[in-house]
Amino acid sequence: MAKSDETGLHRRRFLKGVVAAGGATIAAPQGVTAQTSEPPKGATPMPSAATRSKERDQPPEVERLTTEKTGSDFMVDVCKTLNLDYIASCPGSTFRGLQESFINYGANKRPEWLTCLHEEVSVGMAHGYAKVAGKPMAAIMHGTVGTQHAAMAIYNAYCDRVPMMLFTGNAGATNERRPGVEWFHSVQDGAATVRDFVKWDDYPMSLQHFAESAVRGYALACAEPPGPVFLVADAKLQEDPLEEREARKLRIPRLVTPSQTAGDPNALREAAKMLAAAENPVIIADRYARSQAAMDDLVKLAELLQAPVIDNRSRMNMPNTHYLCQSERAGTLVAQADCILSLEPVDLFGQLNTLRDQIERTDISRIKAGVKVISISTHDLLVHANYQDFQRYAGADLKITGDAQTTVPFLIEAVQREVAASGKSANEMRGEKLRQAYHGALERARTEATFAWDAKPISTARLYMELWGQLQKEDWALVSDSDFSSRWPHRLWPLDKHYRFIGGSGGYGVGYQPVAALGAALAHRDAGGRVVVNVTGDGEFNMAPHTLWTAAHHGIPYLTIIQNNRAYHQEIMHVQRMANRHNRGVRNAAIGTTIDNPNIDYAKIALGYGALGIGPIEEPGDLADAFRKGIAAVKAGQPVLIDVVTQPR
Amino acid sequence: MKPVSLVAVTLTILASMIGGTSAQQAAAPAGNADHGKTLYRDTGCYQCHGLAGQGAIMTGPRVSRTELPFDGFLGQLRRPSNQMPPYEAAVVSDRDAADIYAYLRQMPAPPDPNSIPLLKVAR
Repeated sequence: MAKSDETGLHRRRFLKGVVAAGGATIAAPQGVTAQTSEPPKGATPMPSAATRSKERDQPPEVERLTTEKTGSDFMVDVCKTLNLDYIASCPGSTFRGLQESFINYGANKRPEWLTCLHEEVSVGMAHGYAKVAGKPMAAIMHGTVGTQHAAMAIYNAYCDRVPMMLFTGNAGATNERRPGVEWFHSVQDGAATVRDFVKWDDYPMSLQHFAESAVRGYALACAEPPGPVFLVADAKLQEDPLEEREARKLRIPRLVTPSQTAGDPNALREAAKMLAAAENPVIIADRYARSQAAMDDLVKLAELLQAPVIDNRSRMNMPNTHYLCQSERAGTLVAQADCILSLEPVDLFGQLNTLRDQIERTDISRIKAGVKVISISTHDLLVHANYQDFQRYAGADLKITGDAQTTVPFLIEAVQREVAASGKSANEMRGEKLRQAYHGALERARTEATFAWDAKPISTARLYMELWGQLQKEDWALVSDSDFSSRWPHRLWPLDKHYRFIGGSGGYGVGYQPVAALGAALAHRDAGGRVVVNVTGDGEFNMAPHTLWTAAHHGIPYLTIIQNNRAYHQEIMHVQRMANRHNRGVRNAAIGTTIDNPNIDYAKIALGYGALGIGPIEEPGDLADAFRKGIAAVKAGQPVLIDVVTQPR
Repeated sequence: MKPVSLVAVTLTILASMIGGTSAQQAAAPAGNADHGKTLYRDTGCYQCHGLAGQGAIMTGPRVSRTELPFDGFLGQLRRPSNQMPPYEAAVVSDRDAADIYAYLRQMPAPPDPNSIPLLKVAR
């Protein structure tokens, strides 16, 4: 109380016209007066008759209980300049001012407020959304506890280099906090919990500061390498009245999204020479393409060099319908390569080496001596110390710092010049061999899919191909990773456009899949009616089943298929590995890893959240009908879940 | 476990497990396929290789109808050259290994992919 009472001012009190005041209000001026600075002893003048008369004419000081405009309204004005379509949240009192301003003052439009049932959903949703929409979405978390809930999803987004605008609230000075809960939800440093894995954060001290930090933050979030930006919206700034005189002084800086960095032209000339001179050049694309144009550029570069492309699937980089997409031959290609170009690698060391997971951990090089390695990446521009997502250091013959998507067109020009100067044309014989290898890999995949075709539990190959049988008539998008289901869609579906696929979680934080799928489905809905499919493990889904409620509530249609192997299957294998290593047998490996006894009824869960639930499907012959019904319901605007009991992988 | 790092390993396993038979292979001991089926589940082989031995790209190669000679099969079990966890005799005896081998060898042949309309993938 000290400061405000000493000054005789309080943010929620002021002299307000003619109001009949209650006793407490009448008492307030006496308290304020009592704590104003004391006049010198012996100098206290007696009030004159004129003074007493003036005091009688002044209106009494009353507590101000309402206001027409607040700081949070201005914050909404700021956010409306940021090209944000949505802000997702699980409600929390530390941002109550902002929430009210968004939905009333801001008319709940651009951004529209989305209701989530866990902060991990709010952030994960923004993760999936950004990878489809190509721009950030916002999420807002309750102070402390909400941020703690959101932390894993923020980490995934950071590891996956995805932009998003994150906000949290925080109660202000100690004398202004309500006793009890507001103290538990107050913090000195609101971003401390997540600072290791956001790109930038700030705790603005004024509304002008908020405006500048929000605009700066958006630009930083989008600058390659992108990442989450985290801003604390102080509760006092949110809730204090914003007087017209003060509002006139505020300025919202103009948002200018930055152009991206391209690699050094001299280095690109050198890279072009190395690639053009190679007998077996190989291109590896990882977190490379953010657009269809980037995919088209990669095809152009690959054709120019007649170089096979290994798409590591962190993004949709290379159409697998093109014969130079040779991802399934990654090991052989890396081993045979004499020049490797790596575009935005996530783990270059892991691509070029392997490490045996035995008692003695030994790494073995996969590449032959003398291979030239070129990387083009913004990786080194965003490396923090604590979390080790940066992977083991990999040397390269030429490391070009720059955004690969921005750089590749310049590399194409450099290669074209190099090829023209050398008089060499693309190696047609190499191209023919690659065509044959491409078709060979496809045939192997078809053959592999036949094993267990009629098995129960259902094979993952059967699941994906029955799904394809229904999906191929639609304009579709797959918003889930397929690494844990033998990559069947990448091996047998035609992934021919950038929006067909969005990559994985980034940080392998379990629970990404259902929440990112929700955000991706929202962006696809806005893009125009694509049938969105999310195939997720049962362990993943159980981290956030309530995403289906948000989907139903906000009219976000998509098809979730539970690849239900009734286990945290990756962990079963880890426990088996340890049991074998200790010669104890694997019979207890199910303890702590399986999700059965009782089996979970996912269809009922879906129904409970307002989605259509189908299953469990246990007969391979029942898949087609279930998928047909599911897709029809999605096209009618419903979120749908189909539970399919499957083989482990 | 990082998926990317397993790609080449998986291919290596694949080559070693379903590759061509050795000219020097010893005759496989007679195994009990029924017991092998039980062991295939109880010793957790199916977790990585699938209940039908179909394999999975991230975890382990196809072992259904393995063409490895028994010596090679047993060698891979005891001292894996890759990421596969070792199964020593204390966990899977030579006799048990022979039973599992017999079970894998007699697994039914898969259908011709051309006989499955959904697998008619044209590119």
